[in-house]
Amino acid sequence: MKRMLRSASTVLAGLAAVAALLPGVASAETYTAGIEASFPPWAYVENGEKKGIAVDAMRWIAKDQGIDVNFKDLPWPSLVPALGQGRIDLLVTGLDVTRERDKVVDYSIPWYVNNDALMVPKDSDLNVVTALSNGATIGIQSGSTQYLWAKKNLVDNPDIDATIKGYDSSVTAVEDMEAGRVDSFMVDELTATEFASKRDDIKTIAIMMAERPMALAVTDGDPHHLLAKLNKGIMNMVDSGNWRRIVKKYAPYMPIKNVPGYMPPYIDHYKNPPGIDLSN
Amino acid sequence: MSIYGVLLDQLPYLLQGLGIAVLLLMALLVVGLVLGLFFALVEIYGPLWARLPVYALERFARGVPAIILLFLFYYGIGNVYAIPSFAAAVAALGLRSGGYQSQIFRGAIQSVPYGQMLAARAIGMGRMGAVAYIIVPQALRHAIGPWSNEFSAEFKDTSLAYVIGVIELTRQAHYIISNQHGHTLPVLLFAAVLYFVVNRFGNSLLYRLEDRLEVPGFERRS
Repeated sequence: MKRMLRSASTVLAGLAAVAALLPGVASAETYTAGIEASFPPWAYVENGEKKGIAVDAMRWIAKDQGIDVNFKDLPWPSLVPALGQGRIDLLVTGLDVTRERDKVVDYSIPWYVNNDALMVPKDSDLNVVTALSNGATIGIQSGSTQYLWAKKNLVDNPDIDATIKGYDSSVTAVEDMEAGRVDSFMVDELTATEFASKRDDIKTIAIMMAERPMALAVTDGDPHHLLAKLNKGIMNMVDSGNWRRIVKKYAPYMPIKNVPGYMPPYIDHYKNPPGIDLSN
Repeated sequence: MSIYGVLLDQLPYLLQGLGIAVLLLMALLVVGLVLGLFFALVEIYGPLWARLPVYALERFARGVPAIILLFLFYYGIGNVYAIPSFAAAVAALGLRSGGYQSQIFRGAIQSVPYGQMLAARAIGMGRMGAVAYIIVPQALRHAIGPWSNEFSAEFKDTSLAYVIGVIELTRQAHYIISNQHGHTLPVLLFAAVLYFVVNRFGNSLLYRLEDRLEVPGFERRS
């Protein structure tokens, strides 16, 4: 029995040693940036390397502001809770600014303004009206801003006959549309353009002016005082032309928009964003 | 490049994910083995005050979905101590495996004829000694067959660990799917083949071990 206990404790000690060697243990000076690494062009992994607009931009900002940042890949539904709990210090995937999320996170100034897009199979006759009503079934990524919009404005409206089907990821939604189980697919404009450039079996039939600001986010209350650094870094990156360079590298089709983008009045600290002076 | 070319091109990263999955499997099986044996011994030989909490923990580990255990360990313990993803996955899946393994070991221990305990006591061995040197060594050998099921089941469940940020095979497959904007089926099928090959290989090793360590005179599958 004693021998068994001894070998058991050796094994446990070995496991602890292995765990200590594994990456992801954040030290005091290094911040952990959460990304959803299956979300091109914002963040993705190719040949074992983390890439994308958000990843490169964050690296640039970190260097500019003299902070160290590690990237941690978590599935999309886990990111906001992980930030709320402090498991990650900031969130740098293409994140929409919404009133609901503002309750649990704090936003940097918007670095992009995105719209919504509607896609159908290439051989489909549906138009922007019939693809969203008349008994149409719309595929959308669950929990996305587009999902919430469609639920509120189409499904919950008794005068419109539309059904939405939620998916784990945009790719599954598109593949299910190809299989004929949904009629149309709603997603943000950038992702739609990305899909249209990689697949020839679907087409975009409408861009809807949603003007959704996208920003970085930190834990509510900004405990590490990162917002001022992020805001300054974003402006330096834009002013030095590096933002344009990074965006064009990953998404040549993507228009460059004014930074800071539209700042909704319901986000409190947008009245006076820390770290930058917007008066001029 | 066709999707098959992409798969071939990305094979090193898929294999890297497979390596993480196998490492996770080994670690969680060791944790599960230690816990499972401990649970089984307490449940069979322990006093009531020790049995009750062990029953409760073992039933909980077996009665809760693995994905919820993963979240509980990553975010729950994460509130107190910043546990890394991999360690949280080992702990969560290891605890669950401990629950299942305890029932394998309980059955295996109880399959050793009670007369052996009486004989050991009769020649002057203590109860602990008889358990450690007579009962458990035989029980472990009986347990290999059913334990190979646990090996397979847990290996497949390592594919859940990506939800708390462990970059294993399934996550690597997701990377390819999102970069390609499609081809879900061939990519996941390819991952399935990798899982299957390792699973069969591990099982055949365990069968060979079972043959080698067969308890003489005990009936077993042919």
